[in-house]
Amino acid sequence: MSSLTERCWAALAEVQDPEMPISLVDLGLIYKLEVEEGLVKVELTFTAMGCPAYEMILEDVRARLLAEPGIEHVLVKVVWDPPWSSERLTPEGREALEMWGLAV
Amino acid sequence: MATANQVRFDALLSKGDLIETPSEMTPEYLKELKHTLTVSGDTELISAPAYYLAAQRAPSVNAFMTGIAIIQDELAHAHIAYHILEELGDDEETLIFERDPKSFRYPYAFDVPLESWTELAIANAMYDQAGFCLLGDIHEACSYGPWKRGLVKVMAEENFHLRNGQSWMKKISKAGGEAKSELQRNVDWMFPLTVEWFGLPDNLKMHSTQLEYRLKGKTNDELRQWWLSVVVPFCESIGVKVPAHREGDAYVLDYPFPSTFDAENKHWDFNDPCSWDDVLERWRARGPRNAEMVADFQESYYKLRKSRAS
Repeated sequence: MSSLTERCWAALAEVQDPEMPISLVDLGLIYKLEVEEGLVKVELTFTAMGCPAYEMILEDVRARLLAEPGIEHVLVKVVWDPPWSSERLTPEGREALEMWGLAV
Repeated sequence: MATANQVRFDALLSKGDLIETPSEMTPEYLKELKHTLTVSGDTELISAPAYYLAAQRAPSVNAFMTGIAIIQDELAHAHIAYHILEELGDDEETLIFERDPKSFRYPYAFDVPLESWTELAIANAMYDQAGFCLLGDIHEACSYGPWKRGLVKVMAEENFHLRNGQSWMKKISKAGGEAKSELQRNVDWMFPLTVEWFGLPDNLKMHSTQLEYRLKGKTNDELRQWWLSVVVPFCESIGVKVPAHREGDAYVLDYPFPSTFDAENKHWDFNDPCSWDDVLERWRARGPRNAEMVADFQESYYKLRKSRAS
């Protein structure tokens, strides 16, 4: 893994879900991340198709990745397969949601 | 002579401890707590029909979903307040469905129709910010444990509403032209209406039982300053003008407070200062949408009850 790819993952780990105190990475929304010469391609999903924070999350992902030195373009693809489930939570994410009062 | 209960209550309150059950309360505290909860529940409840009118004018499916999610949050917040009132001996159904529209206790601002997505964006940035200050203060200071704890999630959800309001206001302002002019025209009537939300200035409000019982921690003017310190810099940062400026540590209004408001035309007459008695009278008479919004949720309830009875 190149260091720029690692930095992009770390950048997305800073992006919080607008409705809950958990990062998009810990929530398991990021399916794929590839960097090619200043272009980062991200595949992500949402916990529900009717996610009320849809636009906000896409905006935050773009803005955070563009703030990363070496990144000039961001291409986000929303995917629904495989569908998100709580299995995708990282152990840290699971803990954050439990602290928040959600049984997962 | 003070009763044993009164002595125990005074001790809990002065130590800064939380009150957890009705048996620890005095009748006066219970009354004030119920009043404060009713205002909170009514405010959250009525924001749902108030926001719904405007949410229907969302500019995209995603924006509509966000608007509807915010309304769902507000109803849940209302339910938290009414649920606690139930535990204190009131009946949620009676509170919502059997009260006269004029007896609902919520800020006058919600009685003035929100008719466009732009107005909803401003409401999310200004009205929800007012709610955030008021509830944040209760969350911080409240002496009643169950309410204090119930507000943790409420505060987080209010953040989501603020974000929606601020990001749309920013987008609309950036679009420029008629969109920006419309934004400014609506801020012109909505800003002073939210300033008024926090009630009488401290020099006119002699005594606050809510402060004495630690049902809240900040005075009306402190809460108003908190709100101004968020809303004024935000509006300035996106190129929207507001009639207030900073002087030293405090924000100062650039118009006579209070002033006369014409709800039908959504217009303030700053050349016509009025007294707080005039404002209180306008609040008591309620505004254009009060009866209609309460009827919105009460009518179906009665229809269902009637069809069940027949």
